[in-house]
Amino acid sequence: MSNGFSRREVMAIGGAIAGTAVMTPLARARMLPAEMDRDVFAGVVRELRAIVGDEWVFADEASTISYRKSGIPDLRGEHIPSGAVAPANVEQVQAILAVANRYKLPLWPISTGKNMGYGMATPASSGQMILDLKRMNKILDFDAELGTILVEPGVTYQQIQDYIDEHDLPYWIDVPTVGPIVSMVGNTLERGVGYTPYGDHFFMQCGMEVVLADGTVLKTGMGSIENGNTWQAFKWGYGPYLDGIFTQSNFGIVTKLGMWMMPKPPAYKPFMVRSAEVEDISAITNVTRPFRMNNLIPNAVMMMGALYQLSMFNRRADIWQEEGPIPTEVIKNLARQNELGMWNTFFALYGTEETIAATEPIIRSAYETVGGEVLTDAELNGNPYFEHNKALMRGGLTLEEKGLVRWWGKSGGAVAFAPVAPAKGSETAGQTNLAIEVMNKWGFDYAPAYVVGSRELHHIIFLMFDKGDDENSAKAEQCMNEMITRFGERGWAAYRSSVSTMDLVAQQYGDANREVNARIKQALDPNHIIAPGKQGIA
Amino acid sequence: MERHRESRWGKARVAGLGIVGALAAAALVAGNAAPATAQATYEIEPREPEYLYERTCGYCHGHNIAPIIRGRQLPAAVTAAIVRSGMGAMPAFKPTEITDQELQALTAWLEASEADPEEHGA
Repeated sequence: MSNGFSRREVMAIGGAIAGTAVMTPLARARMLPAEMDRDVFAGVVRELRAIVGDEWVFADEASTISYRKSGIPDLRGEHIPSGAVAPANVEQVQAILAVANRYKLPLWPISTGKNMGYGMATPASSGQMILDLKRMNKILDFDAELGTILVEPGVTYQQIQDYIDEHDLPYWIDVPTVGPIVSMVGNTLERGVGYTPYGDHFFMQCGMEVVLADGTVLKTGMGSIENGNTWQAFKWGYGPYLDGIFTQSNFGIVTKLGMWMMPKPPAYKPFMVRSAEVEDISAITNVTRPFRMNNLIPNAVMMMGALYQLSMFNRRADIWQEEGPIPTEVIKNLARQNELGMWNTFFALYGTEETIAATEPIIRSAYETVGGEVLTDAELNGNPYFEHNKALMRGGLTLEEKGLVRWWGKSGGAVAFAPVAPAKGSETAGQTNLAIEVMNKWGFDYAPAYVVGSRELHHIIFLMFDKGDDENSAKAEQCMNEMITRFGERGWAAYRSSVSTMDLVAQQYGDANREVNARIKQALDPNHIIAPGKQGIA
Repeated sequence: MERHRESRWGKARVAGLGIVGALAAAALVAGNAAPATAQATYEIEPREPEYLYERTCGYCHGHNIAPIIRGRQLPAAVTAAIVRSGMGAMPAFKPTEITDQELQALTAWLEASEADPEEHGA
C-alpha cells in the first residue's frame, strides 16, 4: 500500500479485533508443517516467493489471518495453516508442486475458501500451506449455443452472473447458499447442490483439467482429444470415468472445470407448501418423492424447518432468554407470526405459462391431500422467507443464510451435518427425532432442512453455537461427534463433512473403501503433499 | 409478519433475472442465442468501491443480515482489518479476493459515504 496504512498494520489490527473472544490463544498461532523445522520452512517460503512473487506468499501470523477464519469449533488449534501461496496459472501450480514434493510440504487447495459450515479455507490438519487458487479467475469459454462454460477455480457465481448480464446470454446460474462469494469449481468439487433444475452441480459438470502431484496435466473426458471440441459437451469420454475421483478428493488439483448452464425458461413459478406440525415432514416427503422421480417437479424440493428460516433474520436472544433449547411452541408461534409453518416446502415450475398451468393442479392437489397449504406469489409476495427461496430457485444471488452463523450472537459459529437417506417418510421421522434428542441434550436448537434431490434425502442440520464461548464451543464439538456417531449407527452417513470430522465420517464408509482410496492416493501422490486428511485420506 | 415485510426486507439484490413477468416476456432460448463462443477475460483490478460494495459487502450489510456500515464514518484502517480477519460471523476476505489497493479505496469510500435510507441493519 502506498499510503494510509500498511498491510501489516491492517493485519495487526485485524488480529487484535479477531482475538477478542473469537479465537482461542492457540488459534492465533501459526503452525508449521509437521516434521519440518523452521529453517527448512523459511527456505521453502523463499522458493515459493520466487515462483509467484513476494506479495502472493503469506507466511507469518499476521498475513495468514484471513486463511485461519472459520465458524467451526477448533479449541485445540487443529486446523491452522502454516501459510498460503497463490499461483496465477497452471505453470506456477506445477512449480509449487515440485517444491512441495522436494520438501514434503503439505498443500491444502482452495478456490475461494468459503466452505461455510465445513471449515471455510482451513485445512484438515494444522501446518498445511493453503494453495489459494483465487487468482486463477478467468471464464475461459462460454458457448452460448450449447450453454456450456469453462472456468478456473477463482471464478465466483457473481462473476458468471455479471458475465451473463453483460453479454445478455439466455442462461441461468445455479447457486449454492452463499453464491456471490463462492467458486463454481469449489462448490462442484465438494459436490454441493443448488436450487434450480440444474441443482446437482456435479451431475451438470462436464470435463475438468487436473494437475497431478507430479505435475502431469490431465484433461478428463473428451479434453485430451487432439483438435477436439467436445470437452464440455460429452461427460463420459472413453474408458474409466475419472472426474469423480477428483471430487471431495486429494488426488489432484483441479485447475479448470466445465459446467452445463440452464437455459432461461420463458416462465417461472415458485411455490411454498406450509405445513403446521413437526410430524408432517413424513407425509410431505412421501408426496414429494414421486414428483422428483418422474420430474414433474424439476428442481430439488427443499423442506425448510421453521427455525432454519427464522434464524436467518433473527437473533436467538430476541426470541428466547431462558436456559435450554427453544421450546417447540415458541418456535411455532414465531413461525405463525411470519406466515410460516413448522415445515415450509419450496419447489418451482419452469417452462411456459401453458405447461405450468397444466402441471400445477396435479401437484397442488397432492400436497393439499396431506394438509399442506399451497402458496405462491399471490399470497406471499414480499414475505422475506418466501422471497429468499424464490430467489434461490431461479439462481438468484443472496447471502441471507449467513445470518444463521450469528444466531447466538456477534461471535458467530455454525457447523453443518448433512446425513443422507432414502427419500421415504419413515426416514425423516427417525432422523428428526434423533437430531432433536442429541441437540437438545447439549443445549442446542434443531434448525433443519430436508432436500429431496431425486431418490435420496439430504438432511441439512446447522448446529449453531457461540464460538466466542469456549464452553459452548466444546459442547458443539461433542454434540456434532455424537450426532455423526449415532446417525452412523442407524446407517445414516454424511455426504460431506467439516474438516474437523473428516476422519470420523470416513470410518463409517468402511475399511475397503478407505483402503482403495489409500491405494489411489499412494499411486498418484506418493509424498502425500496434496491435502492430507481430506475426506479421511492421508 | 408486517414488521418483517416493512423493516427487514431491504432492497432486492438478486442479480439480473427478476420477476415472473419478466421471465414470461423473455424470448425463447432457441431464438435468442448469442455468438457461439464468448471468450472472457476477467480483469480483477482495480474494481471501484461502489462495485465491490454492491457485489460483496451489500449482500449482508444493510440487507438485514449485518450492521449498516455506510454513513457511520467508520475508520478505514479498522474496517480494513475487519475485512481481512472476518470479525465474528463475517467471513474473512483475502488479498486474492480484494486486493490491498482495492481494500484501501473501499474502506476510504465507506468512511466518507452517506447513509442509504433504503438499507436495513441487523
